Amino acid sequence: MTRHNPARACALAATLALGGGAAMAQEPIKIGVLEDQSGDFAAATMVKVHAIELAAEEINAAGGIAGRPIELVVYDTQSDNRRYQEFMRRVLQRDKVDVVFAGFSSASREAYRPIVNQFDGLAFYNNQYEGGVCDANMIVTGAVPEQQFSTLIPWMMETYGKNVYTLAADYNFGQISAEWVRNIVAENGGTMAGEEFIPLGVSQFSQTIQNIQGAKPDFVVTLLVGAAQASYYEQAASAGVGLPMASSVNVGQGYEHKRFTPPSLKDMYVTTNYIEEIDTPASQAFIAKFKAKYPDEPYINQEAANSYIAMNLYKLMVERAGSTDREALRAEIAKGDVCFDGPSGNVCLDPKSQHMSHTIFLAKVEADHSITFPKVWENIAPYWLGEAGCDLTKNDPSEQYTPSNPPK
Amino acid sequence: MSAQDADLIDAAPVARSSLLRIWLGRLEGPQTFGRGPAFWAVAALVVVGAAVWPLFTDGYTVGNAAYFMVWTFMAMGLGVVWGYCGALSFGQTAFFGVAGYSYGVLTINIGDAYGFTLVALALSVVIAALVAAVIGYFMFFGRIKGVFVGIVTLSVTLVFETFMAQTAAPQWRIGDARLNGFNGMSGMPPLTVPWFGGDVVLYPDPPLFWVLLGLNVLVWLGLRMALNAPFGNVLVAIRENPERAEMLGYDVRVYQVIAFTLGGALAGLSGALYTAWGQYITPSSMGLTAAALPIVWVAVGGRSDITATLLGTLLVLAGFQTLTIYGSQYALVVMGALLLLVVLAAPQGVVLGAMRLLARLGGRGR
Amino acid sequence: MDVVSTVFSFAYQFGDAFAFLVISAAGLAVIFGMMGVINLAHGEFIMCGAYVTVAASRIGAPLPLAILCGALVAGLVGMAVERLVIRRLYHRPLDTIVATWGMSLIATQGTLIVLGSTMQGIGTPLGSVAIAGGAYSAYRLVLMAAAIALLVGLWLLFYRTRWGVLARATIQAPHMARALGVETGRVYGMTFGLGAALAGLAGGLYAPTMTMVPTMGATFIVESFVTVVVGGADIFLGAAPAAAILAVIRAGLTAWQGQLFGQIGLLLAVIVVIRLMPGGLSGWLAARARR
Repeated sequence: MTRHNPARACALAATLALGGGAAMAQEPIKIGVLEDQSGDFAAATMVKVHAIELAAEEINAAGGIAGRPIELVVYDTQSDNRRYQEFMRRVLQRDKVDVVFAGFSSASREAYRPIVNQFDGLAFYNNQYEGGVCDANMIVTGAVPEQQFSTLIPWMMETYGKNVYTLAADYNFGQISAEWVRNIVAENGGTMAGEEFIPLGVSQFSQTIQNIQGAKPDFVVTLLVGAAQASYYEQAASAGVGLPMASSVNVGQGYEHKRFTPPSLKDMYVTTNYIEEIDTPASQAFIAKFKAKYPDEPYINQEAANSYIAMNLYKLMVERAGSTDREALRAEIAKGDVCFDGPSGNVCLDPKSQHMSHTIFLAKVEADHSITFPKVWENIAPYWLGEAGCDLTKNDPSEQYTPSNPPK
Repeated sequence: MSAQDADLIDAAPVARSSLLRIWLGRLEGPQTFGRGPAFWAVAALVVVGAAVWPLFTDGYTVGNAAYFMVWTFMAMGLGVVWGYCGALSFGQTAFFGVAGYSYGVLTINIGDAYGFTLVALALSVVIAALVAAVIGYFMFFGRIKGVFVGIVTLSVTLVFETFMAQTAAPQWRIGDARLNGFNGMSGMPPLTVPWFGGDVVLYPDPPLFWVLLGLNVLVWLGLRMALNAPFGNVLVAIRENPERAEMLGYDVRVYQVIAFTLGGALAGLSGALYTAWGQYITPSSMGLTAAALPIVWVAVGGRSDITATLLGTLLVLAGFQTLTIYGSQYALVVMGALLLLVVLAAPQGVVLGAMRLLARLGGRGR
Repeated sequence: MDVVSTVFSFAYQFGDAFAFLVISAAGLAVIFGMMGVINLAHGEFIMCGAYVTVAASRIGAPLPLAILCGALVAGLVGMAVERLVIRRLYHRPLDTIVATWGMSLIATQGTLIVLGSTMQGIGTPLGSVAIAGGAYSAYRLVLMAAAIALLVGLWLLFYRTRWGVLARATIQAPHMARALGVETGRVYGMTFGLGAALAGLAGGLYAPTMTMVPTMGATFIVESFVTVVVGGADIFLGAAPAAAILAVIRAGLTAWQGQLFGQIGLLLAVIVVIRLMPGGLSGWLAARARR
């Protein structure tokens, strides 16, 4: 496992730069990386750092960004919001980086956003989340509810039935996602058999399982977050619940299908913008490169792909704008054609919200925990923020909106 | 004129100035470390050095140092409650959170004009103190003691955290301020000092550093005076032997509640300042890990002396951050090992031990 | 739903909550309740037992044997910890907080570094069983039986064996015990080891139902502490009835209003119980017995 510290990353980048090509005496582009490499979230985030390092190495080997080598400045935020605040300040004020790739949990993003705003910096948030961030200093490559639920829920309702039970983590992401599910179920003529919210850190689900069995839904939407809550699957399987499950957050992020014993995740359907089981040529090439550099990587999840794509998007924007100045980059995004062909296919940045369009893959977990793909939706844009009234080409509210709290 | 009349006439002006002298005299005493001109000379030197230091270093380092100085109040509050009064409170973070959210709610609703942020800061501290008083009354007048104080206070802070973490829905608002659940409340203004020709916004750079340095010095001196007063003596007596203190006629419960309220107010000061510093407050600030940290700072610094607590907190915060930056994944392991070492090798606290050693070498102090 | 199935389902929920509290608190009741050591690394002993159990099960050991292995390894680690660290801290119990917090950091981060961020789990055995109109996990019924067996076994150990009597005597009056020729050092070591082994047992028993991450102990720690503290010093007069009361409150509130109420209700109940009975349940019961 690679150790991450500024000195080593600098040395690595410098060596690559020296061996890279001509005109390398140019000033490096510094990229800050704030990710949780220890603590509660480490399982899903260490692969993000590896993806960023892979992308940086590739770009440097090909000559860097407009001839300038990439220099990574990496900090371990220990799954602690305070560290995000401390290190975001450090990376922007002391290390003076040009851009930051930061954050896993939404709380960490909300903790560092005021600081990015204060220093007029630019940050990439490469995680799926509950949507709604309308902030000119943020570029979001993660998938948002309209991309994941407007594809998943109607498909599940058509395939299994219209009576839906939602089981969600009891905080912003879970509550907002549940709101989306509720709205889409109503739009498609279905009924909610029940909704249950579980506080974070709870790991015992006997009563919940009983409630679900009593409500007799056609399928269960599971929006459970964290290792403790993930214990639900094992407990539900052993109690013989046997219902199909729909999720936007499992498998694609925490690779539960590899960690749990079959058949606890049988008949789980997940909409994700990338997982390593996708076998398009682009995906396979990406995986081959990744495994060559990191042979012991447990799993390449959607956040890793997003981080890799984000790095390449940044390169594209800087080369087209001719500078790393944030307003110049935003002007490029506003043109509406910042696109990249990556491991998950063609993705583009939406000018109004600075979020990314995605190809959404429907992944089904079989009884032996292998993955099949019953359906693929191409080019789903992050349309909700633009439709709701957020337009970053015109103004910058720096707010997070939700369906029940839209822009005024 | 009789001798008595002469005495009475002489007594009046002396009485007024001796009150001041009494209080100034309490700056040193049996309950705090350090006395005499050498100690105060060193202290003055440190403060002046700290005040000039921002001129010689970059903006980030100053802002970072200001950040450390936000947490010292919580540590000193715990020092009063635990170190001096003997009640291990595991829930100082509850008051930290209450004050942080109060500051957020007040400033989001009323704004930062006319120096209101400073008023909001003071009000938040008062609110935290009130909550601490209520909980303290509940505990100490119920004769809860020992480790049960720790469990009850831990339960309180966890209840706050669990409750706040699920307030994401839009109906959870106080006025214009959405509580916003686990993602945290943001959008509150930083501390703003009204000034002629334009408000001075205290972002983390030298002005905020000086304000926090000043606050730290004031609180430190104030606590020294309070702890060397009869009040402090009673607290220590309660710590050493509550029954004996009771038998000497002191209502132990009242003193415990006062100490607990003071501790809560200081934790609240940290909370409001943190919220103003980062313009953000989240329920995780009231969780189990956050609750254990002040105990670690105070234990490592030295809990039986307020100066040691203050210096120890700064040392631990700076040390842990440096470890995290340069130690990558081994940082937490090294931190754990350091804690073990401190407990086994320097039980009274690293800083206190060092201070006593220096004093012995210098031939002064306690 | 008819009466039988409602009654059974409530009994099941209560038993499930009770089993969780008893099994996770047993080790802490010995270490904290009896010995006065505030063990913030309790969750890490649980994690140790869980990981060893899963590892043993993966190389082919049958589950009961794997669980015993987990308990044994945790117990041995506990004895080593006691010898190296805890032994010096008996006269200053509040310092055990910092020491065990440090050990907890080392254990979780060390496991993350050495074994990676996650470990593949083992499935829950025994499948589901249909009772009174609902399907229930059979393994959880086994856990309930295990909790009761645990209480009975501990009672036999502490009240019916020579070692148990010696242990209780040493902890209550060490000078007397030493004067009577008991090797108190060894007794302390073994008692702490027993507490750690019980924590490892909890980890092993619950491992098939949970995800294996280095921080998995965190989900047990708050409930264990509140059960032990509400119970008071005596594990049988205190921790067991405390677990029963808290389980009723937890199960009832969760069934009525959902997990959030269950969680908050548990914590509020702790506050109220301690306020009404400052010495914990066993203190209150002992005071009544004296009257």
